[in-house]
Amino acid sequence: MTTAQFLQNLLNGISIGSVYAIFALGYTLVFSILGIINFAHGAVFTLGAYLTYAMAVGQFGINGLLSGLSIPVQLPFPVALLLGCILSGLVSVLIERLAFRPLRNRGGDALLALVSSLGVALVTVNAIQYFVGSEIYSFPPEIYGDIKPAITFSIGESVVVIRTVQVIIFGVCMAVLVSLGFLIARTRFGKALRAVAENPATASLLGISVNRFILYTFFLSGFLGGLAGSLVGTSFGVAGPYFGVTYGLQGIAVIVLGGLGSIPGSVLGGIIIGLIEAFVPPDYSAYKEAVSFALLFLILMVRPQGLLGQSQIQKV
Amino acid sequence: MAEFLNNYGFLIVTVVQQALLGMSLYYPLSAGQLSLASPGFYALGGYIAAIIGTAELFAPWRDLLGKAVFPLEWIIAGVASALLSLVIGLPALRLRGIYLALATIAFVQIVRVISLNLSITGGAIGIFGIPQLFESRWGYIWIFGPLLAATLLFTWRLEQGRIGRAFRAIREDELAAEAMGINPTRYKAQAFIIGGTLAGVVGAMSAPFLNTWNARQGTFDASIAYLAYVLIGGTRSLWGALLGAALLATLPEILRPLNDSRLIINGMVLVIVSIYLPQGIVGALARLRGAGKKKGVPAGGKT
Repeated sequence: MTTAQFLQNLLNGISIGSVYAIFALGYTLVFSILGIINFAHGAVFTLGAYLTYAMAVGQFGINGLLSGLSIPVQLPFPVALLLGCILSGLVSVLIERLAFRPLRNRGGDALLALVSSLGVALVTVNAIQYFVGSEIYSFPPEIYGDIKPAITFSIGESVVVIRTVQVIIFGVCMAVLVSLGFLIARTRFGKALRAVAENPATASLLGISVNRFILYTFFLSGFLGGLAGSLVGTSFGVAGPYFGVTYGLQGIAVIVLGGLGSIPGSVLGGIIIGLIEAFVPPDYSAYKEAVSFALLFLILMVRPQGLLGQSQIQKV
Repeated sequence: MAEFLNNYGFLIVTVVQQALLGMSLYYPLSAGQLSLASPGFYALGGYIAAIIGTAELFAPWRDLLGKAVFPLEWIIAGVASALLSLVIGLPALRLRGIYLALATIAFVQIVRVISLNLSITGGAIGIFGIPQLFESRWGYIWIFGPLLAATLLFTWRLEQGRIGRAFRAIREDELAAEAMGINPTRYKAQAFIIGGTLAGVVGAMSAPFLNTWNARQGTFDASIAYLAYVLIGGTRSLWGALLGAALLATLPEILRPLNDSRLIINGMVLVIVSIYLPQGIVGALARLRGAGKKKGVPAGGKT
């Protein structure tokens, strides 16, 4: 591998890895509070991409209920993105209210939360298909404004190409990570959130409304999911209603690698998986997806608590 | 009657086949282990049958054995799945709860990606034109039906005996079971291998039934579907998988007039049942019966 190739892979990996990181954080926030994996997160990822598309582009294809529809008002992309993320957050809140809270109130098993969240995912994905069909939607290249599509520079003979989209994605993800870190580590809100994650009963005795903070958590989680979906969508296109399923499972590999419930772990896991995927040789690129699952299996065998997770005292 | 079988034969066989796959998930679950590995073994079994049924290499076998090649496929698929579940199960079963579920999801995904890329499994297109055992779809009831009956009988006997009691003890409290001299690893591995073998055999029977076999047979969605059968039917009874499969596999047919939106309703059923029928249909029926006899009985343990 030449230096240029190495650099190219490194940059590709960091860019997609940063998206994995913010996506995986959505799982982590919910897991750290409720101890469950929200399998509907992949569906929110998909939904976010479609919502942003609808508001920024608004041209629908030939399938589904909305076929041929074009929305007359197109929002500037940053506004559409923000709104798309907020709506995804609200959908996530709705999911908590409809699928998780009733189960908690009835003292249901964590296993059932898994099924119930999968049920929600099934509903969401098929509702999307019902409305817009299963065709691929691509964001037009000028969505980020009038900028060069790629930055190129050469090392010796070879050329390294960085797509501008990749730089923007990386920048947005970093900004989100820093703000989220600040929110959780430095603010009163974050303190309360951590208290709920640590021990809901004690937090509620201290006057923190646990259910309200669970809703905030789901909002943040959905926001991050929608953002990740939209960013991936602008980079690679929105490949049908099922496009979040693979990313959803990929995200689970990320959180297990980093350590379930660990926020720095999710970021580290995201970057690592992004890098590993980028460094899979082109001849084996079809096996790319299997790499992260093999890693997931392996890490569960050797270190189930993940890279940065805390080992739990096991009581059956 | 002929017309009825024409219309519904495929559906009935599908229900039986899906119930068997639900059963394959029920064994680990009855020992307290949430494994979603079944589609991986199902895919493996199907590929074995499809390859033996179509590859040039096995032409002499087919000529020699005639129809008897089918039982041979089931046996090979069963043995291969048993071996693979031993290899996967021994390390994986040290994990508990959601961790085991995730490891088995990873296993299913790895099998899927590999089968998408190997030439022997036909890549993304898969293997088609798999020789038929029966002339009509309905004919397959003569293999799936007896297999289901045998499985139910086997499970019933198993649950009466020492192994079934050990499974239950581990499900209720693994540490306590171990203290009573039950070796949890051994029994958990047994439950996992029984489930894996069954899924492999069902796969081998399904490849001719479905005529084509590809990577779509063993997916995460399938894991969820089988889990849903067991949970909706009831995890504490061997009839649960059958009831759940009967309900969920026929639902899309009943809702066929709704076309695209029928999976939406399927998803809603999952949510509603997990919330309102946490013990599944069998559990709810048992509770109804119990409530008729004596009142104030606490509503069972956890699912």
